[in-house]
Amino acid sequence: MASVSKPLSEQPAREQPATRLMKGLRRNALPYILLLPLVVILISFLAIPFISLIYYSLQRTELGVGNVFVGLANFNILLHESRFAANLTATLVYLAGVLVLSVPMAYFAAVLISSNRRGVGGIRTIFLIPWVLAPVVTALLFRTMLDPQSGPITIAMSWLLGHPFYLTLSEEGSRLLIVLHSAWRSFPLEMLLIAAGITSIPQELYEAAKVDGAGLWQQFRRITLPLTRIPLFSAVLLISVYTVQDAEGVYALTQGGPGYGTEVTGVRLFKEAFLYFNIGFASSIGIALITLSVLVIVIYFRILGQGEKA
Amino acid sequence: MTRTRWMFAWFGVLFILLIIVFPMYWGLRTSLTENGVLDFVPGRLTLMHYDGLFAGGFLTNIQNSLIISMGTITFTLPIALMSGYALARFDFPGKRFSAVLLVLPLLPAIAVLVPLILYMRGLGIYNTLYSVILAGTVFALPYCTWMIRGFMLSIPREIEEAALIDGCGPIKALFSIAIPLAAPGLISVAIFTLISAWNNYLFSFAFTTKRELQVVPAALLGFITAWGNNYGGMNAGAVVAILPPLIFFLIFQKWFIQGILAGSSK
Repeated sequence: MASVSKPLSEQPAREQPATRLMKGLRRNALPYILLLPLVVILISFLAIPFISLIYYSLQRTELGVGNVFVGLANFNILLHESRFAANLTATLVYLAGVLVLSVPMAYFAAVLISSNRRGVGGIRTIFLIPWVLAPVVTALLFRTMLDPQSGPITIAMSWLLGHPFYLTLSEEGSRLLIVLHSAWRSFPLEMLLIAAGITSIPQELYEAAKVDGAGLWQQFRRITLPLTRIPLFSAVLLISVYTVQDAEGVYALTQGGPGYGTEVTGVRLFKEAFLYFNIGFASSIGIALITLSVLVIVIYFRILGQGEKA
Repeated sequence: MTRTRWMFAWFGVLFILLIIVFPMYWGLRTSLTENGVLDFVPGRLTLMHYDGLFAGGFLTNIQNSLIISMGTITFTLPIALMSGYALARFDFPGKRFSAVLLVLPLLPAIAVLVPLILYMRGLGIYNTLYSVILAGTVFALPYCTWMIRGFMLSIPREIEEAALIDGCGPIKALFSIAIPLAAPGLISVAIFTLISAWNNYLFSFAFTTKRELQVVPAALLGFITAWGNNYGGMNAGAVVAILPPLIFFLIFQKWFIQGILAGSSK
């Protein structure tokens, strides 16, 4: 037996590199063929457009003249523009507001739906509904509730406060409105991810903690919170990225107003691209938005990496 | 002690239920009453807003939404299935680049839409439903492929290997063994893609300018700016837009939830 297997194992070493490559390709051809449609589509409709995006961002659309190459002028304008500074501020306020409201609510709901009580399944289903509805639709529902004249919330709040209450007319109010709407939409996904983390914690840990005399708060702080760190992290990352990029929810609610108070970066891009057809300028905002998203992703992985070391 | 705890928990449940259900209840109520009636439970119901909606050509928008959702899934699922299978079952040089599929869904689609508008013009499909289906497929593919790869990885390799030893080709193994075993996962991917495609308005808004080519959410966005205070009409449209994904979700929610969790944890 040994004499038969020896020449077989030596065989590849004797082959010419070219034949080995051909053999490897033939053996590997199937996965490449299977992947071909995906790769062709992603290169032609994502990679090449991305390169065009960079190219267009260096141009200005001028009426009658067409596109003129202007170098980095668009970015120069953006960086010195007070409106773009307002866009970035609105984006950060939006992101912070959504996280502050939705994460504790999601955590609370996740703990509730992770128990084995009867009826929990039905509650979980209802809790998930906001997330399956289109942002434009939920924005419309929120507008209806908060209309200055006919909104039930407006009427109830005016009655409670004793003076007229118009959320959509002030900058702070409008910002609160887009945050409330987005937190309402975002908490189900966060809840789902966190709940999956909670249910994977072995029950014995809690029993051992109870034997050691740990209270509910202690159990939460020492077991639940540290062991759901990763799902919590992915939930916060996903929602942060979506919130930073959001255009449709905000546009449908406030169109960016009053003034530029709620004009987040996505809404600005939406307006420049699809309402004013400023292709060059819109492209430079597109690159800014991609940079912003990458920044968020990098920051989160930095934080996760540091947590791992500690 | 435990009693106060449960009181607290149930108060929390009721509070969140109220926050979720009230906007939807109010939308339904508004769509069924005359504008200006503000009673919490209206005395008289009317279908006038729905009549007005459909008289205004809303049926075309629903039809567009259906065509685009079905079109997107028809192209996305086979391509994602082939690629997901290749990534789960074969080792080949360059495979590590597949991590790109995880990052792509995190980047803003809206940014690439700007050059894509000019692309669609060049292809001659700007202002047609084809461009919306194409964009829907392009942006659904990375996530769907990654999810299908996960499902394929979770079914044991041994069954397929046994079939391969028995002389079954890899393509036949895919169709007669891997696909049936991964069926629950494939269904959840399909449902996720359908709901996302139905809810998306960005592609329709970017690539079509005529109202008769728009999908339901894009038409609703138009109502917001054009109709002003006609909340009855707008909410009738919202109810129509909500129903398909809601019914779909309620029927298939178990698969849907499993799919999301499998896709996000791997």
